[in-house]
Amino acid sequence: MPLFNAKFYDLMVHLPEEMDSLARFAHAAKEFGYSGIAALDLKKNGTDMNQLPEDFSLYSAIEVSGKPSKLRDEIKKYKDTGDILIARGKDEEIARTAAETERLDILLQPVKFNNVLGKIAYDNSIALGFDIGSIIHTRGDDRVRELRIMRTNLKYARKYDLQMVLTCEPYSTYDLRSPREIASLGGLFGMSPEEAVGAMSAVPIEIMRKKSAGHIQEGVEII
Amino acid sequence: MKTIPTLREKKRYLAFRIISEETINRGVLTDELLNSISSLFGDTGASEINPALMSYDGGYGILRCQKDRTSDTRAALACINKVGGGRVSIMVLGISGTVKGAMEKFIQQRLVKEPEPDKE
Repeated sequence: MPLFNAKFYDLMVHLPEEMDSLARFAHAAKEFGYSGIAALDLKKNGTDMNQLPEDFSLYSAIEVSGKPSKLRDEIKKYKDTGDILIARGKDEEIARTAAETERLDILLQPVKFNNVLGKIAYDNSIALGFDIGSIIHTRGDDRVRELRIMRTNLKYARKYDLQMVLTCEPYSTYDLRSPREIASLGGLFGMSPEEAVGAMSAVPIEIMRKKSAGHIQEGVEII
Repeated sequence: MKTIPTLREKKRYLAFRIISEETINRGVLTDELLNSISSLFGDTGASEINPALMSYDGGYGILRCQKDRTSDTRAALACINKVGGGRVSIMVLGISGTVKGAMEKFIQQRLVKEPEPDKE
């Protein structure tokens, strides 16, 4: 199927703490059909780029968390480092602060997302993240709640034309799933395969382009 | 008695590979598969999907499902994260219309390809 011939990226990988975990993880991800990953807290691990498979790109991501005021400070602190900034919208207040702060890249799985947040997130060009890992690792009531949240978020993302990002948030190689499977898991809450492919390839590429050194600012171009 | 062709249900066969911490036997895997499908789609959904494990050798396997429910079956396979206490990940290699096709196209080809790096 030509739809799945794109390059796929997972932007939120938690690396295990064992030695040479990065190389092993990268090889596993490549086997699953990914062209690159963004790992959280990458610098702490001490990376050896030579061990990575060919045509595989590695990026660094940071999950900002804490109280709203701390969240704002953290985003300011990391905004020029070139790392992908991800905030988890655990409650309405955090989601609101995250959406209002420019330079954040992904607002992951916000609860109680609404039209106001949708507009703000669009203005600040923040992508809406869907945590597929929560469908994989939960059962029963918890999974019902997660699917409910995702269904609502998808509705707002379509209405306000927000960019969407899908991640399976792996903590180990056993948590990895191939892009096709993630797309079919996306289908469980109403996401079309085209949207899912965009959320795993076009949007991550766009986010990484924004984070690259040559990029100046949204709306500014060299004539 | 054979079902007449027009009433025969169209099936698809998913070839998959299991990446696991421990070796998994057939019975445990079948239970987990059915459990995952019925927890995700309920009993009516599971009856529509009509799943059955056609073949399994410890690493590779073939799962039968209904033709129009392949995406749902994939989702249910992806939802399996633990079998018998050990962590697992199931990777779907491909879908075929016959068991033979799935076996030849996805599983045997991989088995032929895989030993090569060891020889070098």
